[in-house]
Amino acid sequence: MFGYIVVNKPELKFREFGVYQSYYCGLCRALKEKYGRFGQMTLSYDMTFLAMLLTGLYEPETSESTVRCITHPFEKHPVCMNVFTEYAADVNVLLSYYKCEDDWLDEHKAGKYLFASLLRKKNHRIAKEYPAKACKMAENLSRLHEVEKNGGVTLDETAGLFGEIMAELFVYKEDEWADSLRRIGFFFGKFIYLMDAYDDIEADIKKKCYNPFAPRFKEEGFEEEVKLVLTMMMAECSREFEKLPILLHAEILRNILYAGVWTKYEAVHARRMKEKEKAAENAEAARGAENGEPATDMRNEEAAEGTKNGELASDMRNKEAVTGVSDAASLTGTKDAGGKEENTERQDGVPKL
Amino acid sequence: MIDPYGVLGVSRSASDDDIKKAYRKLSRQYHPDANVNNPNKAQAEEKFKQIQQAYRQIMQERERGASGSSGSYYGQEDAEGYDPFGFGGFGGFGGFGGFGGYAGNANRRAAEEDEDSLHLKAAANYINGGHYKEALNVLGTISERGAQWYYYSAIANAGCGNNVQALQYAKQAASMEPGNSAYQRLVQQLESGGSWYTGRQSPYMGMGGMQGNLCNRICLSYLLCSCCSGGCCYMPYGGMYCC
Repeated sequence: MFGYIVVNKPELKFREFGVYQSYYCGLCRALKEKYGRFGQMTLSYDMTFLAMLLTGLYEPETSESTVRCITHPFEKHPVCMNVFTEYAADVNVLLSYYKCEDDWLDEHKAGKYLFASLLRKKNHRIAKEYPAKACKMAENLSRLHEVEKNGGVTLDETAGLFGEIMAELFVYKEDEWADSLRRIGFFFGKFIYLMDAYDDIEADIKKKCYNPFAPRFKEEGFEEEVKLVLTMMMAECSREFEKLPILLHAEILRNILYAGVWTKYEAVHARRMKEKEKAAENAEAARGAENGEPATDMRNEEAAEGTKNGELASDMRNKEAVTGVSDAASLTGTKDAGGKEENTERQDGVPKL
Repeated sequence: MIDPYGVLGVSRSASDDDIKKAYRKLSRQYHPDANVNNPNKAQAEEKFKQIQQAYRQIMQERERGASGSSGSYYGQEDAEGYDPFGFGGFGGFGGFGGFGGYAGNANRRAAEEDEDSLHLKAAANYINGGHYKEALNVLGTISERGAQWYYYSAIANAGCGNNVQALQYAKQAASMEPGNSAYQRLVQQLESGGSWYTGRQSPYMGMGGMQGNLCNRICLSYLLCSCCSGGCCYMPYGGMYCC
Protein backbone atom coordinates (compact mmCIF):
# COMPACT_ATOMS: atom_id res chain seq x y z
CA MET A 1 0.00 0.00 0.00
CA PHE A 2 2.34 2.73 1.17
CA GLY A 3 5.20 0.81 2.66
CA TYR A 4 6.54 3.66 4.75
CA ILE A 5 6.32 1.91 8.08
CA VAL A 6 9.30 -0.42 7.95
CA VAL A 7 12.18 -1.40 10.21
CA ASN A 8 15.65 0.05 10.07
CA LYS A 9 17.27 -3.28 9.40
CA PRO A 10 20.95 -2.58 10.08
CA GLU A 11 20.19 -1.58 13.64
CA LEU A 12 17.97 -4.53 14.38
CA LYS A 13 19.39 -7.59 16.08
CA PHE A 14 19.44 -10.69 13.94
CA ARG A 15 16.85 -12.39 16.11
CA GLU A 16 14.63 -9.33 16.17
CA PHE A 17 14.60 -9.10 12.43
CA GLY A 18 13.55 -12.76 12.31
CA VAL A 19 10.62 -11.99 14.61
CA TYR A 20 9.61 -9.03 12.48
CA GLN A 21 9.72 -11.11 9.36
CA SER A 22 7.69 -13.88 10.95
CA TYR A 23 4.86 -11.41 11.58
CA TYR A 24 5.14 -10.14 8.05
CA CYS A 25 4.81 -13.72 6.84
CA GLY A 26 1.94 -14.24 9.28
CA LEU A 27 0.11 -11.30 7.76
CA CYS A 28 0.80 -12.64 4.28
CA ARG A 29 -0.63 -16.03 5.20
CA ALA A 30 -3.65 -14.52 6.88
CA LEU A 31 -4.33 -12.52 3.74
CA LYS A 32 -4.06 -15.60 1.61
CA GLU A 33 -6.23 -17.76 3.83
CA LYS A 34 -8.95 -15.16 4.23
CA TYR A 35 -8.87 -13.35 0.91
CA GLY A 36 -7.06 -15.55 -1.58
CA ARG A 37 -4.38 -14.59 -4.05
CA PHE A 38 -5.71 -11.12 -4.72
CA GLY A 39 -5.93 -10.43 -1.05
CA GLN A 40 -2.35 -11.56 -0.68
CA MET A 41 -1.31 -9.03 -3.28
CA THR A 42 -2.24 -6.19 -0.93
CA LEU A 43 0.43 -7.24 1.56
CA SER A 44 2.35 -4.32 3.03
CA TYR A 45 4.77 -3.60 5.83
CA ASP A 46 2.55 -0.89 7.27
CA MET A 47 0.05 -3.31 8.68
CA THR A 48 2.79 -5.56 10.00
CA PHE A 49 3.48 -2.73 12.40
CA LEU A 50 -0.15 -2.65 13.47
CA ALA A 51 -0.20 -6.42 14.02
CA MET A 52 2.92 -6.25 16.16
CA LEU A 53 1.78 -3.20 18.09
CA LEU A 54 -1.49 -4.87 19.07
CA THR A 55 0.32 -8.13 19.82
CA GLY A 56 2.72 -6.28 22.10
CA LEU A 57 -0.13 -4.55 23.88
CA TYR A 58 -2.54 -7.44 24.35
CA GLU A 59 -0.10 -10.38 24.32
CA PRO A 60 -2.52 -12.86 22.71
CA GLU A 61 -1.92 -16.53 22.10
CA THR A 62 0.35 -16.70 19.09
CA SER A 63 1.01 -19.78 17.00
CA GLU A 64 4.54 -20.16 15.70
CA SER A 65 5.32 -22.54 12.88
CA THR A 66 7.68 -22.87 9.97
CA VAL A 67 6.45 -22.93 6.41
CA ARG A 68 7.57 -22.79 2.83
CA CYS A 69 5.96 -20.31 0.53
CA ILE A 70 6.02 -19.12 -3.04
CA THR A 71 8.33 -16.21 -2.48
CA HIS A 72 10.83 -18.33 -0.53
CA PRO A 73 10.45 -21.79 -2.07
CA PHE A 74 13.76 -23.25 -0.97
CA GLU A 75 13.83 -22.54 2.70
CA LYS A 76 11.39 -22.94 5.50
CA HIS A 77 10.85 -19.84 7.53
CA PRO A 78 9.03 -19.06 10.76
CA VAL A 79 5.52 -17.63 10.76
CA CYS A 80 3.71 -15.99 13.69
CA MET A 81 -0.05 -15.82 13.58
CA ASN A 82 -2.67 -14.61 16.03
CA VAL A 83 -5.90 -12.65 16.14
CA PHE A 84 -4.04 -9.48 15.29
CA THR A 85 -2.38 -10.74 12.14
CA GLU A 86 -5.91 -11.62 11.09
CA TYR A 87 -7.20 -8.22 12.09
CA ALA A 88 -4.34 -6.53 10.26
CA ALA A 89 -5.22 -8.58 7.18
CA ASP A 90 -8.81 -7.32 7.31
CA VAL A 91 -7.66 -3.77 7.71
CA ASN A 92 -5.14 -4.15 4.94
CA VAL A 93 -7.73 -5.30 2.41
CA LEU A 94 -10.14 -2.60 3.52
CA LEU A 95 -7.53 0.10 3.16
CA SER A 96 -6.24 -1.21 -0.16
CA TYR A 97 -9.71 -1.31 -1.61
CA TYR A 98 -10.48 2.28 -0.74
CA LYS A 99 -7.02 3.39 -1.80
CA CYS A 100 -7.49 1.78 -5.21
CA GLU A 101 -10.87 3.31 -5.62
CA ASP A 102 -9.52 6.66 -4.58
CA ASP A 103 -6.65 6.40 -7.06
CA TRP A 104 -9.12 5.50 -9.73
CA LEU A 105 -11.17 8.59 -8.98
CA ASP A 106 -8.06 10.74 -8.82
CA GLU A 107 -6.05 9.58 -11.76
CA HIS A 108 -8.30 7.23 -13.69
CA LYS A 109 -5.81 4.44 -13.79
CA ALA A 110 -7.53 1.41 -15.27
CA GLY A 111 -5.39 -1.05 -13.35
CA LYS A 112 -6.53 0.43 -10.07
CA TYR A 113 -10.14 0.15 -11.10
CA LEU A 114 -9.68 -3.47 -11.99
CA PHE A 115 -7.99 -4.24 -8.72
CA ALA A 116 -10.65 -2.36 -6.78
CA SER A 117 -13.37 -4.36 -8.46
CA LEU A 118 -11.53 -7.56 -7.61
CA LEU A 119 -11.46 -6.54 -3.97
CA ARG A 120 -15.01 -5.21 -3.88
CA LYS A 121 -16.72 -8.37 -2.74
CA LYS A 122 -14.16 -9.05 -0.07
CA ASN A 123 -14.50 -5.49 1.03
CA HIS A 124 -18.25 -5.78 1.51
CA ARG A 125 -17.63 -8.78 3.70
CA ILE A 126 -15.20 -6.87 5.89
CA ALA A 127 -17.31 -3.75 5.95
CA LYS A 128 -20.10 -5.80 7.47
CA GLU A 129 -17.75 -6.97 10.18
CA TYR A 130 -16.49 -3.49 11.03
CA PRO A 131 -19.30 -1.15 9.97
CA ALA A 132 -18.11 1.88 11.93
CA LYS A 133 -14.58 1.70 10.59
CA ALA A 134 -15.65 1.14 6.99
CA CYS A 135 -18.10 4.01 7.26
CA LYS A 136 -15.50 6.38 8.66
CA MET A 137 -13.10 5.37 5.95
CA ALA A 138 -15.52 5.91 3.07
CA GLU A 139 -16.72 9.19 4.53
CA ASN A 140 -13.28 10.65 5.14
CA LEU A 141 -11.86 9.54 1.82
CA SER A 142 -14.69 11.18 -0.07
CA ARG A 143 -14.21 14.33 1.99
CA LEU A 144 -10.50 14.16 1.34
CA HIS A 145 -11.20 13.81 -2.34
CA GLU A 146 -13.39 16.88 -2.28
CA VAL A 147 -10.95 18.94 -0.25
CA GLU A 148 -8.04 17.98 -2.48
CA LYS A 149 -9.99 18.98 -5.53
CA ASN A 150 -10.87 22.39 -4.16
CA GLY A 151 -7.45 23.06 -2.68
CA GLY A 152 -6.84 26.00 -0.39
CA VAL A 153 -6.86 24.12 2.88
CA THR A 154 -4.20 23.65 5.50
CA LEU A 155 -1.90 20.69 5.57
CA ASP A 156 -3.33 19.70 8.93
CA GLU A 157 -6.80 19.41 7.47
CA THR A 158 -6.01 17.05 4.61
CA ALA A 159 -3.50 15.00 6.57
CA GLY A 160 -5.93 14.98 9.47
CA LEU A 161 -8.68 13.41 7.39
CA PHE A 162 -6.40 10.51 6.58
CA GLY A 163 -5.17 10.47 10.16
CA GLU A 164 -8.72 9.98 11.40
CA ILE A 165 -9.06 6.91 9.22
CA MET A 166 -5.91 5.36 10.62
CA ALA A 167 -7.03 6.34 14.11
CA GLU A 168 -10.12 4.16 13.72
CA LEU A 169 -8.15 1.29 12.23
CA PHE A 170 -5.65 1.22 15.09
CA VAL A 171 -8.39 0.67 17.66
CA TYR A 172 -9.05 -3.02 17.95
CA LYS A 173 -11.59 -2.71 20.71
CA GLU A 174 -13.01 0.05 22.87
CA ASP A 175 -11.13 -0.47 26.09
CA GLU A 176 -8.77 1.49 28.31
CA TRP A 177 -6.16 1.65 25.51
CA ALA A 178 -8.50 2.83 22.78
CA ASP A 179 -7.65 6.52 23.21
CA SER A 180 -3.93 5.89 23.08
CA LEU A 181 -4.19 3.67 20.02
CA ARG A 182 -6.40 6.21 18.35
CA ARG A 183 -3.84 8.92 18.95
CA ILE A 184 -0.98 6.76 17.68
CA GLY A 185 -2.99 5.89 14.59
CA PHE A 186 -3.99 9.49 14.00
CA PHE A 187 -0.46 10.82 13.91
CA PHE A 188 0.77 7.78 12.03
CA GLY A 189 -1.87 8.51 9.42
CA LYS A 190 -0.79 12.12 9.20
CA PHE A 191 2.81 11.04 8.86
CA ILE A 192 1.98 8.57 6.09
CA TYR A 193 -0.12 11.09 4.22
CA LEU A 194 2.56 13.77 4.39
CA MET A 195 5.36 11.34 3.60
CA ASP A 196 3.39 10.25 0.56
CA ALA A 197 2.95 13.89 -0.44
CA TYR A 198 6.67 14.55 -0.01
CA ASP A 199 7.46 11.50 -2.11
CA ASP A 200 5.08 12.47 -4.93
CA ILE A 201 5.59 16.19 -5.05
CA GLU A 202 7.20 16.48 -8.50
CA ALA A 203 4.67 14.15 -10.09
CA ASP A 204 1.77 15.97 -8.43
CA ILE A 205 2.97 19.34 -9.65
CA LYS A 206 3.35 17.98 -13.15
CA LYS A 207 -0.13 16.48 -13.14
CA LYS A 208 -1.55 19.50 -11.35
CA CYS A 209 -2.81 17.30 -8.54
CA TYR A 210 -3.23 18.64 -5.03
CA ASN A 211 -0.15 18.37 -2.86
CA PRO A 212 0.02 20.06 0.54
CA PHE A 213 3.72 20.83 0.08
CA ALA A 214 3.47 22.14 -3.49
CA PRO A 215 3.27 25.88 -2.70
CA ARG A 216 6.49 25.73 -0.69
CA PHE A 217 8.41 23.27 -2.83
CA LYS A 218 10.82 25.62 -4.56
CA GLU A 219 11.27 27.91 -1.59
CA GLU A 220 14.32 28.02 0.57
CA GLY A 221 14.18 25.93 3.70
CA PHE A 222 11.61 23.59 2.23
CA GLU A 223 13.49 20.41 3.11
CA GLU A 224 13.98 21.53 6.70
CA GLU A 225 10.34 22.41 7.03
CA VAL A 226 9.15 19.04 5.79
CA LYS A 227 11.53 17.31 8.13
CA LEU A 228 10.26 19.36 11.05
CA VAL A 229 6.64 18.64 10.24
CA LEU A 230 7.24 14.92 9.86
CA THR A 231 9.22 14.86 13.09
CA MET A 232 6.34 16.52 14.91
CA MET A 233 4.02 13.75 13.76
CA MET A 234 6.34 10.96 14.83
CA ALA A 235 7.00 12.68 18.14
CA GLU A 236 3.29 12.63 19.01
CA CYS A 237 3.07 9.04 17.90
CA SER A 238 6.06 7.88 19.90
CA ARG A 239 5.11 9.78 23.02
CA GLU A 240 1.83 7.95 23.11
CA PHE A 241 3.50 4.64 22.39
CA GLU A 242 5.80 5.05 25.38
CA LYS A 243 2.77 5.37 27.62
CA LEU A 244 1.45 1.95 26.68
CA PRO A 245 2.57 -1.01 28.81
CA ILE A 246 4.26 -2.75 25.91
CA LEU A 247 7.20 -5.02 26.66
CA LEU A 248 6.82 -7.73 24.04
CA HIS A 249 8.47 -6.70 20.74
CA ALA A 250 8.99 -3.24 22.20
CA GLU A 251 12.47 -2.83 20.74
CA ILE A 252 11.32 -3.80 17.25
CA LEU A 253 8.45 -1.36 17.48
CA ARG A 254 10.78 1.38 18.70
CA ASN A 255 13.13 0.63 15.84
CA ILE A 256 10.25 1.32 13.48
CA LEU A 257 9.01 4.40 15.34
CA TYR A 258 12.35 6.11 15.82
CA ALA A 259 14.27 5.02 12.74
CA GLY A 260 12.48 2.74 10.30
CA VAL A 261 9.85 5.29 9.33
CA TRP A 262 12.65 7.56 8.11
CA THR A 263 14.08 5.03 5.65
CA LYS A 264 11.86 6.16 2.82
CA TYR A 265 12.29 9.80 3.75
CA GLU A 266 16.06 9.48 3.61
CA ALA A 267 15.88 7.81 0.20
CA VAL A 268 13.61 10.49 -1.26
CA HIS A 269 15.65 13.27 0.35
CA ALA A 270 18.91 11.87 -1.02
CA ARG A 271 17.42 11.50 -4.48
CA ARG A 272 16.21 15.08 -4.45
CA MET A 273 19.53 16.45 -3.25
CA LYS A 274 21.29 14.56 -6.01
CA GLU A 275 18.93 15.97 -8.61
CA LYS A 276 19.51 19.42 -7.23
CA GLU A 277 23.27 18.95 -7.45
CA LYS A 278 22.93 17.71 -10.99
CA ALA A 279 20.78 20.67 -11.96
CA ALA A 280 23.34 23.03 -10.47
CA GLU A 281 26.13 21.28 -12.34
CA ASN A 282 24.22 21.50 -15.59
CA ALA A 283 23.61 25.17 -15.06
CA GLU A 284 27.31 25.69 -14.42
CA ALA A 285 28.21 23.75 -17.55
CA ALA A 286 25.84 25.87 -19.57
CA ARG A 287 27.41 29.02 -18.17
CA GLY A 288 30.86 27.64 -18.99
CA ALA A 289 29.84 27.09 -22.60
CA GLU A 290 28.62 30.67 -22.83
CA ASN A 291 31.96 31.98 -21.63
CA GLY A 292 33.58 30.35 -24.64
CA GLU A 293 33.45 33.64 -26.62
CA PRO A 294 35.07 36.17 -24.34
CA ALA A 295 35.23 39.21 -26.64
CA THR A 296 31.55 39.66 -27.19
CA ASP A 297 30.84 38.44 -23.74
CA MET A 298 32.58 41.39 -22.12
CA ARG A 299 30.33 43.79 -23.85
CA ASN A 300 27.32 41.68 -23.10
CA GLU A 301 28.27 41.56 -19.49
CA GLU A 302 28.59 45.30 -19.32
CA ALA A 303 25.27 45.71 -20.97
CA ALA A 304 23.80 43.20 -18.61
CA GLU A 305 25.23 45.04 -15.66
CA GLY A 306 23.75 48.23 -17.00
CA THR A 307 20.31 46.79 -17.17
CA LYS A 308 20.80 45.19 -13.82
CA ASN A 309 21.54 48.56 -12.30
CA GLY A 310 18.59 49.99 -14.04
CA GLU A 311 16.47 47.24 -12.68
CA LEU A 312 17.91 47.77 -9.26
CA ALA A 313 16.97 51.41 -9.34
CA SER A 314 13.47 50.67 -10.40
CA ASP A 315 13.39 47.93 -7.78
CA MET A 316 14.23 50.48 -5.14
CA ARG A 317 11.44 52.67 -6.27
CA ASN A 318 9.07 49.71 -6.25
CA LYS A 319 10.15 48.80 -2.78
CA GLU A 320 9.42 52.29 -1.58
CA ALA A 321 6.04 52.13 -3.13
CA VAL A 322 5.41 48.80 -1.48
CA THR A 323 6.45 49.98 1.95
CA GLY A 324 4.26 52.97 1.49
CA VAL A 325 1.34 50.73 0.78
CA SER A 326 2.03 48.48 3.71
CA ASP A 327 2.27 51.48 6.01
CA ALA A 328 -1.09 52.62 4.81
CA ALA A 329 -2.42 49.13 5.35
CA SER A 330 -1.25 49.02 8.92
CA LEU A 331 -2.76 52.42 9.54
CA THR A 332 -6.16 51.42 8.37
CA GLY A 333 -5.89 48.45 10.69
CA THR A 334 -6.65 45.81 8.10
CA LYS A 335 -3.87 43.64 9.47
CA ASP A 336 -3.29 43.14 13.13
CA ALA A 337 0.50 43.36 12.87
CA GLY A 338 0.52 47.09 13.23
CA GLY A 339 0.12 47.52 16.97
CA LYS A 340 -3.05 47.66 18.95
CA GLU A 341 -3.38 51.34 19.80
CA GLU A 342 -3.13 52.43 16.22
CA ASN A 343 -5.70 49.90 15.26
CA THR A 344 -8.23 50.92 17.78
CA GLU A 345 -7.74 54.60 17.17
CA ARG A 346 -8.23 54.11 13.54
CA GLN A 347 -11.25 51.99 13.97
CA ASP A 348 -12.82 54.60 16.14
CA GLY A 349 -12.51 57.06 13.33
CA VAL A 350 -13.89 54.77 10.68
CA PRO A 351 -17.64 54.85 10.73
CA LYS A 352 -19.02 51.38 10.93
CA LEU A 353 -22.03 50.47 8.92
CA MET B 1 -5.27 9.58 47.76
CA ILE B 2 -3.51 6.26 47.24
CA ASP B 3 0.12 6.28 46.17
CA PRO B 4 0.17 4.86 42.62
CA TYR B 5 3.68 3.49 43.08
CA GLY B 6 2.49 1.66 46.18
CA VAL B 7 -0.35 0.08 44.24
CA LEU B 8 2.06 -1.32 41.68
CA GLY B 9 4.61 -2.21 44.33
CA VAL B 10 7.51 -0.34 42.77
CA SER B 11 9.73 2.44 44.02
CA ARG B 12 9.48 5.99 42.75
CA SER B 13 12.84 5.62 41.05
CA ALA B 14 11.81 2.53 39.09
CA SER B 15 12.41 2.61 35.35
CA ASP B 16 9.53 2.84 32.88
CA ASP B 17 10.11 -0.76 31.92
CA ASP B 18 9.97 -1.92 35.54
CA ILE B 19 6.67 -0.14 35.95
CA LYS B 20 5.31 -1.74 32.81
CA LYS B 21 6.46 -5.13 34.04
CA ALA B 22 4.82 -4.65 37.41
CA TYR B 23 1.64 -3.49 35.74
CA ARG B 24 1.61 -6.48 33.41
CA LYS B 25 2.08 -8.94 36.23
CA LEU B 26 -0.58 -7.47 38.49
CA SER B 27 -3.14 -6.83 35.80
CA ARG B 28 -2.82 -10.41 34.64
CA GLN B 29 -3.33 -11.61 38.20
CA TYR B 30 -6.38 -9.48 38.90
CA HIS B 31 -7.92 -9.41 35.45
CA PRO B 32 -11.66 -10.19 35.61
CA ASP B 33 -11.22 -13.00 33.08
CA ALA B 34 -8.73 -14.71 35.38
CA ASN B 35 -11.03 -14.42 38.39
CA VAL B 36 -14.30 -15.79 37.10
CA ASN B 37 -14.36 -18.54 39.71
CA ASN B 38 -12.78 -16.50 42.44
CA PRO B 39 -15.10 -16.13 45.46
CA ASN B 40 -13.67 -12.62 45.98
CA LYS B 41 -14.43 -11.60 42.45
CA ALA B 42 -15.61 -8.12 43.34
CA GLN B 43 -12.48 -7.38 45.32
CA ALA B 44 -10.28 -8.58 42.48
CA GLU B 45 -12.07 -6.31 40.08
CA GLU B 46 -11.69 -3.39 42.41
CA LYS B 47 -7.98 -4.08 42.66
CA PHE B 48 -7.76 -4.38 38.88
CA LYS B 49 -9.25 -0.92 38.47
CA GLN B 50 -6.84 0.49 41.03
CA ILE B 51 -3.91 -0.98 39.14
CA GLN B 52 -5.05 0.53 35.89
CA GLN B 53 -5.61 3.90 37.46
CA ALA B 54 -2.20 3.81 39.13
CA TYR B 55 -0.44 2.91 35.90
CA ARG B 56 -2.15 5.68 34.00
CA GLN B 57 -1.33 8.20 36.68
CA ILE B 58 2.35 7.31 36.80
CA MET B 59 2.74 7.47 33.04
CA GLN B 60 1.10 10.87 32.93
CA GLU B 61 3.18 12.23 35.77
CA ARG B 62 6.35 11.02 34.14
CA GLU B 63 5.46 12.43 30.78
CA ARG B 64 4.75 15.78 32.32
CA GLY B 65 8.09 15.68 34.04
CA ALA B 66 9.84 14.70 30.83
CA SER B 67 8.35 17.45 28.75
CA GLY B 68 9.89 19.77 31.28
CA SER B 69 7.28 22.47 31.30
CA SER B 70 4.84 23.57 33.90
CA GLY B 71 1.97 23.88 31.49
CA SER B 72 1.60 20.16 30.92
CA TYR B 73 0.18 20.27 27.48
CA TYR B 74 0.67 16.58 27.21
CA GLY B 75 -1.43 14.25 29.15
CA GLN B 76 -4.22 15.29 31.32
CA GLU B 77 -6.60 12.94 33.04
CA ASP B 78 -8.94 11.30 30.60
CA ALA B 79 -10.33 13.92 28.31
CA GLU B 80 -13.95 13.60 29.33
CA GLY B 81 -14.57 11.13 26.59
CA TYR B 82 -15.50 13.98 24.36
CA ASP B 83 -12.39 14.51 22.38
CA PRO B 84 -11.89 11.82 19.78
CA PHE B 85 -8.12 11.82 20.10
CA GLY B 86 -7.87 12.00 23.83
CA PHE B 87 -5.90 15.17 23.59
CA GLY B 88 -4.96 16.23 27.01
CA GLY B 89 -6.28 19.59 27.95
CA PHE B 90 -3.92 22.30 28.88
CA GLY B 91 -3.50 21.66 32.52
CA GLY B 92 -2.04 25.07 33.08
CA PHE B 93 -4.78 26.72 31.20
CA GLY B 94 -6.93 27.33 34.20
CA GLY B 95 -4.81 30.31 35.13
CA PHE B 96 -5.83 32.31 32.11
CA GLY B 97 -3.55 35.18 32.98
CA GLY B 98 -4.31 36.98 29.77
CA PHE B 99 -7.92 37.41 30.52
CA GLY B 100 -7.58 40.16 33.06
CA GLY B 101 -5.96 42.40 30.51
CA TYR B 102 -9.10 42.41 28.58
CA ALA B 103 -10.57 45.60 29.95
CA GLY B 104 -7.57 47.43 28.56
CA ASN B 105 -9.15 47.84 25.17
CA ALA B 106 -11.87 50.04 26.55
CA ASN B 107 -11.49 52.74 23.95
CA ARG B 108 -12.85 50.51 21.28
CA ARG B 109 -16.40 50.79 20.17
CA ALA B 110 -18.50 49.25 22.86
CA ALA B 111 -20.65 47.04 20.70
CA GLU B 112 -17.77 45.56 18.79
CA GLU B 113 -15.76 44.95 21.90
CA ASP B 114 -18.63 43.20 23.47
CA GLU B 115 -19.10 40.85 20.60
CA ASP B 116 -15.47 39.97 20.03
CA SER B 117 -14.60 39.68 23.67
CA LEU B 118 -17.68 37.59 24.29
CA HIS B 119 -16.61 35.25 21.52
CA LEU B 120 -13.09 35.10 22.83
CA LYS B 121 -14.41 34.30 26.27
CA ALA B 122 -16.64 31.62 24.84
CA ALA B 123 -13.65 30.13 23.05
CA ALA B 124 -11.71 30.07 26.29
CA ASN B 125 -14.57 28.27 27.99
CA TYR B 126 -14.73 25.70 25.25
CA ILE B 127 -11.01 25.13 25.50
CA ASN B 128 -11.20 24.72 29.25
CA GLY B 129 -13.93 22.17 28.78
CA GLY B 130 -11.93 20.30 26.16
CA HIS B 131 -14.32 21.21 23.35
CA TYR B 132 -11.67 22.24 20.87
CA LYS B 133 -13.72 22.02 17.70
CA GLU B 134 -16.34 24.38 19.07
CA ALA B 135 -13.57 26.68 20.22
CA LEU B 136 -12.22 26.79 16.68
CA ASN B 137 -15.66 27.56 15.29
CA VAL B 138 -16.11 30.49 17.63
CA LEU B 139 -12.61 31.77 16.98
CA GLY B 140 -13.33 31.70 13.27
CA THR B 141 -16.06 34.31 13.74
CA ILE B 142 -13.75 36.86 15.35
CA SER B 143 -12.44 39.41 12.90
CA GLU B 144 -9.98 41.23 15.13
CA ARG B 145 -7.04 38.88 15.46
CA GLY B 146 -4.59 39.94 18.12
CA ALA B 147 -1.96 37.93 19.93
CA GLN B 148 -4.55 36.48 22.24
CA TRP B 149 -6.61 35.24 19.32
CA TYR B 150 -3.55 33.44 17.95
CA TYR B 151 -2.82 32.02 21.37
CA TYR B 152 -6.30 30.55 21.78
CA SER B 153 -6.33 29.34 18.20
CA ALA B 154 -3.01 27.60 18.75
CA ILE B 155 -4.36 25.74 21.77
CA ALA B 156 -7.64 24.83 20.08
CA ASN B 157 -5.78 23.59 17.02
CA ALA B 158 -3.42 21.51 19.13
CA GLY B 159 -6.47 20.02 20.82
CA CYS B 160 -7.90 19.05 17.45
CA GLY B 161 -4.67 17.39 16.39
CA ASN B 162 -3.67 20.19 14.02
CA ASN B 163 -0.19 20.33 15.45
CA VAL B 164 1.45 22.15 12.55
CA GLN B 165 -1.09 24.96 12.51
CA ALA B 166 -0.92 25.13 16.29
CA LEU B 167 2.81 25.76 16.29
CA GLN B 168 2.45 28.40 13.59
CA TYR B 169 -0.18 30.28 15.55
CA ALA B 170 1.69 29.98 18.81
CA LYS B 171 4.77 31.47 17.17
CA GLN B 172 2.64 34.25 15.72
CA ALA B 173 1.24 35.07 19.16
CA ALA B 174 4.71 35.03 20.68
CA SER B 175 6.11 37.33 18.01
CA MET B 176 3.26 39.80 18.43
CA GLU B 177 3.78 40.01 22.17
CA PRO B 178 7.36 38.92 22.87
CA GLY B 179 7.07 39.77 26.53
CA ASN B 180 4.23 37.35 27.23
CA SER B 181 5.66 34.31 28.95
CA ALA B 182 2.52 32.21 28.44
CA TYR B 183 2.90 32.51 24.69
CA GLN B 184 6.57 31.63 24.86
CA ARG B 185 5.76 28.65 27.03
CA LEU B 186 3.20 27.38 24.57
CA VAL B 187 5.70 27.53 21.72
CA GLN B 188 8.17 25.60 23.85
CA GLN B 189 5.57 23.01 24.74
CA LEU B 190 4.59 22.47 21.15
CA GLU B 191 8.20 22.19 20.09
CA SER B 192 9.29 20.00 22.98
CA GLY B 193 7.97 16.85 21.33
CA GLY B 194 10.38 17.18 18.44
CA SER B 195 13.49 17.51 20.56
CA TRP B 196 12.38 14.74 22.88
CA TYR B 197 11.90 12.51 19.87
CA THR B 198 15.23 13.26 18.21
CA GLY B 199 16.91 12.65 21.54
CA ARG B 200 15.53 9.15 21.61
CA GLN B 201 16.40 8.30 18.03
CA SER B 202 20.11 7.61 18.28
CA PRO B 203 20.09 4.00 19.50
CA TYR B 204 17.89 3.03 16.57
CA MET B 205 19.38 5.23 13.91
CA GLY B 206 22.88 3.83 13.93
CA MET B 207 25.88 5.69 12.68
CA GLY B 208 24.70 6.11 9.14
CA GLY B 209 21.14 7.10 9.79
CA MET B 210 20.77 10.80 9.53
CA GLN B 211 24.31 11.97 9.15
CA GLY B 212 24.50 12.50 5.46
CA ASN B 213 26.06 10.84 2.54
CA LEU B 214 29.66 10.38 3.47
CA CYS B 215 28.89 8.52 6.64
CA ASN B 216 26.45 6.32 4.83
CA ARG B 217 29.11 5.39 2.37
CA ILE B 218 31.56 4.57 5.11
CA CYS B 219 29.01 2.40 6.86
CA LEU B 220 28.21 0.62 3.68
CA SER B 221 31.81 -0.18 2.94
CA TYR B 222 32.31 -1.44 6.47
CA LEU B 223 29.20 -3.48 6.16
CA LEU B 224 30.51 -5.09 3.02
CA CYS B 225 33.85 -5.79 4.67
CA SER B 226 32.26 -7.41 7.65
CA CYS B 227 30.04 -9.51 5.47
CA CYS B 228 33.12 -11.02 3.93
CA SER B 229 34.68 -11.88 7.23
CA GLY B 230 31.36 -12.73 8.78
CA GLY B 231 32.02 -10.83 11.95
CA CYS B 232 31.44 -7.46 13.50
CA CYS B 233 33.35 -4.44 12.46
CA TYR B 234 34.33 -1.44 14.44
CA MET B 235 33.47 1.99 13.31
CA PRO B 236 36.13 4.68 13.33
CA TYR B 237 34.33 6.57 16.06
CA GLY B 238 34.02 3.68 18.41
CA GLY B 239 30.61 2.42 17.35
CA MET B 240 30.04 -1.14 16.36
CA TYR B 241 28.21 -2.43 13.38
CA CYS B 242 26.94 -5.98 13.36
CA CYS B 243 25.59 -7.80 10.41
